[in-house]
Amino acid sequence: MMKPFADEEASLEINGLTVENRLDRVSLYGSLDITRDQAGLTAARELKDLLCGIVAELEAVAKSGDLPGQVELVQPETVENPFQE
Amino acid sequence: MHKKKEVALGVIGILLIATTVFGGPTACPSHFANGEAPEFINQKLANKTRELCNEGYAIKHSGITRTPLYAAELITREGLQQGKGLPRSNGFRPDPRLPASERSELSDFARSGYGRVFHVYPAADATTAQSKDNSFVLSNMVPQDSESNRGIWNNIEGAVRKEAKRRGNLYVVSGPLYQGGELKALKGRVLIPTGMYKAVYDPARNEAAAYVVLNAPGDAYQVVSIVELEKIAGINLLPTLSTQIKSRAMQLPAPTGRGKKGGRR
Repeated sequence: MMKPFADEEASLEINGLTVENRLDRVSLYGSLDITRDQAGLTAARELKDLLCGIVAELEAVAKSGDLPGQVELVQPETVENPFQE
Repeated sequence: MHKKKEVALGVIGILLIATTVFGGPTACPSHFANGEAPEFINQKLANKTRELCNEGYAIKHSGITRTPLYAAELITREGLQQGKGLPRSNGFRPDPRLPASERSELSDFARSGYGRVFHVYPAADATTAQSKDNSFVLSNMVPQDSESNRGIWNNIEGAVRKEAKRRGNLYVVSGPLYQGGELKALKGRVLIPTGMYKAVYDPARNEAAAYVVLNAPGDAYQVVSIVELEKIAGINLLPTLSTQIKSRAMQLPAPTGRGKKGGRR
């Protein structure tokens, strides 16, 4: 199970929906069908567990007073194009 | 005497062919059209490059950009069929085959707002669990605008897979473009490309073309001939094709994103 915001490496797929763990965000993209069958139930539970984990983590950080209003991004540096001919 | 001369001429003939037809040397020719790897036209690109052979694809990695400069693969109808439903694996990680000074680390991408999800070799092209897992090494990653990655670029990848299913076999070379005098770099280490390309060659019909997009939000894309792309990329991407074939852009499907609902391929 992915621990939300804990690392930059974890990644999983729920029926075509891609989930990527980052330190400053959890990215979800793609689309999924939750079908009214066994596979749908499995997918729905996975998604629910994921979201519960995310909410729990954010609430815990908020409670400790460390949740920022907005994440801060590290701006990329400007460099010379080394391939300019 | 006369015979000896003929033999000597024969050898010279072979050498001439070798220098004119052959592309860059490669340890994994099966990923390249006619077994020949791309060659740099802009020699500045060649600096600190290493070939990385993987199951499913070959990379030319640059220690200057700390990203690949291209990934090459053969997409086949059978392979895509075989790769259906493989579990997404094990997470992103640096490539231990590269010296620390030349490779990107997970920390370079952290809190950058950039996706590292431009798998130059897309996970969805993988035909085996091993090749899918291979696609998660950072030597296969370029910083890409998240909207572009999830939108137009994802649709182009899907369109190319669909076209491979229709045609049977496609050789594909994908990579970053670096245009202009100045670039941005994550942590000053990992160069952010200004654009991306995907060159497609159909060996059965002997025709080719490429998709080109900006590394920016929005759905704009262009289909160009290989000659046009090679000029921008500074790389002879398909060195065994004639200029005539490279000059004419084959018809490529519009990357609509249709026909892949739910990403279940």
